[in-house]
Amino acid sequence: MLHVHLYGKLRRFAADADPRSESIVDVPYCPADTVGSVVARLGVPVEELGSNLFVDGRYADLSSPVEDEARLGLFPDDMQLLYKWYFRPKAADQ
Amino acid sequence: MERILRVNMADRTARFEPVPSSYKNRAGRWLTSSIVHDEVPATCHPLGPNNKVVFSPGIVTGTPAPTSSRISVGGKSPLTGGIKEANSGTGWGRRLARLGIRALVVEGQPQDGRFWLLKVDAKGAAFESADAWTGKKLSDVVPALAERFGGKDHVDVCSIGVAGERRMGAAGICFTDREGRPTRYAGRGGLGAVLGSKGLKAIVVNDSGAADVPIADKATFDAGRKKLAAALGEHAITKPKGALNTYGTAVLVNILNEAGGLPTRNFREGRFEGATKIAGEAIFAGNKERLGRELYNHPCSPGCIIACSNTWHRPDGSEHTSCIEYESDWAFGADCGISDLDQIAELNLLCNEYGLDTIEIGGTLAVAAEGGLWAFGDGKRAIELVHEIGKATPLGRILGNGAVVTGRAFGVPRVPHVKGQSMPAYEPRAVKGIGMTYAVSTMGADHTSGYTIAPEILGVSGKLDPLDSKKTELARNFQYATGFIDTTGHCLFIAFAILDIASGFEGVVEECSGVLGTKWTMDDVGRIGKAVLDLELDFNRKAGFTAVDDRLPEFMSREPLPPHNTVWDIADSEIDRVFAK
Repeated sequence: MLHVHLYGKLRRFAADADPRSESIVDVPYCPADTVGSVVARLGVPVEELGSNLFVDGRYADLSSPVEDEARLGLFPDDMQLLYKWYFRPKAADQ
Repeated sequence: MERILRVNMADRTARFEPVPSSYKNRAGRWLTSSIVHDEVPATCHPLGPNNKVVFSPGIVTGTPAPTSSRISVGGKSPLTGGIKEANSGTGWGRRLARLGIRALVVEGQPQDGRFWLLKVDAKGAAFESADAWTGKKLSDVVPALAERFGGKDHVDVCSIGVAGERRMGAAGICFTDREGRPTRYAGRGGLGAVLGSKGLKAIVVNDSGAADVPIADKATFDAGRKKLAAALGEHAITKPKGALNTYGTAVLVNILNEAGGLPTRNFREGRFEGATKIAGEAIFAGNKERLGRELYNHPCSPGCIIACSNTWHRPDGSEHTSCIEYESDWAFGADCGISDLDQIAELNLLCNEYGLDTIEIGGTLAVAAEGGLWAFGDGKRAIELVHEIGKATPLGRILGNGAVVTGRAFGVPRVPHVKGQSMPAYEPRAVKGIGMTYAVSTMGADHTSGYTIAPEILGVSGKLDPLDSKKTELARNFQYATGFIDTTGHCLFIAFAILDIASGFEGVVEECSGVLGTKWTMDDVGRIGKAVLDLELDFNRKAGFTAVDDRLPEFMSREPLPPHNTVWDIADSEIDRVFAK
């Protein structure tokens, strides 16, 4: 199972969309999953995403692979306040 | 003609001087750091007669350039012992610029221990006794001073609170916001204590009758300001009802928490279980619930089109405090283990009332909790402790002198600071790029000294991982670019837009050329930024700083930080290369 934490306008894809609580969607893991494939299964429009995407707290992008039990953090395009050069994208480790 | 107003507090004289030709085109941080470098003996005591406090509005401050009402304040910092530039958004610097005052220099020291007010207007500068205004909350001082000297439509006020009067190292310098609230701060480095050591309680500026700021080449200026305004209005972060206008800077709480880089309980963890309860989204939702309507944020200063400054409201809908910035929210929230926004708001309010830097005080409280003075998460006790500072009790004086002094007083070795200034809201073990900035900044641990500028714009090539071999170049260029922005008078937050929209950055350069009549290009950004940093580095070297001062606290190299369980592992030699000759 993957645990997807949603923020801002993306919270609407979770059952609990209260901005004062955690908006988490549990998504069944599929082999060879990436951030992009999980986003597609959730039905989140890619154009609503910004550059602040995280897998297990590490900066990621849509092509980044995810493993079972991973925590994904997705922020929308109007919340991308952290810049990518502070982090090593997870894909770069591969 | 633009002038320097020089005020000597030893004999309470004020005189105007022409701006020396050597300072041509310098303003904002470039000018404050130039004057401090040239006039303040680097080894002087920060609270003694030889230190100075220098105010300077930026190059475009006072013009119609968007989001440009910043005032730079410089001096030798009592916290770090090095040079300091802290800046704030306010109409105060805008009025100074309209009066043709490029810099206001406060020097000397009275021997009688009394406090004074300085009034500056189109007729000149004059003093009067501040005996009736000391020892009070700033909300009881600043609006009354504004009213007395012409009303908030004509007047802005700069003042210290009781912390500055008592020369505490965590004292900031308070400025009025666009509505006249005493809520905006040149907060860091203890410059409020330096102004207190000069016996100067407040500076009231009334620009009635002043002419507009001269613009040498209006066509170039207008072209530039339109490019910048278009970029700010278009970008998702800075546009109306964008992230900053809706959630304020506290939008960062959830982001840093997700990244595992939100320092929690005195930098023991990188995630806070109460983050969603205190984040910008929670502030927006809480206000909506209490007010029965959506409340978007307001501009802190005239001419700002980003408008990121928030207010927090009590259950009855009355205003509790402004502004709960990300750093303040984090300092009293995650770093103190407090997840109650009303308690965070009260701590923020008390810092505004007593004239304190919220980052330093939040960090100090966390160190005090580590030392057993109170328990993390006990917001009521934290509030009582900040009142101790306001009352200047012996305990309050320890706390009011910041995290390092408090760590010493209570035997706490885990003090997150660099050069004596406590660390802001980004964990260096999780966000190593900012750790490099903390280490080499001329200001001590300071997130604003190298935060946001696109390395592409500065010619640093594509792969932007701070852990690769280009990280030293990156850290250096970030700081140069910030030195330039702090010179223009623009808020650093314009960087969110000009980072992604290159024409916006070109617009900033054109605005400056338009005001000054220069032909600056993008190449001048790095040149000017380097000039600023070179002055500051030279001052710090003369003050006795060496490479050993450019280090993060030892515990960060030893203690792995959850959830990533990483340590600070950037080699000293890498750090030393950033500003190596």
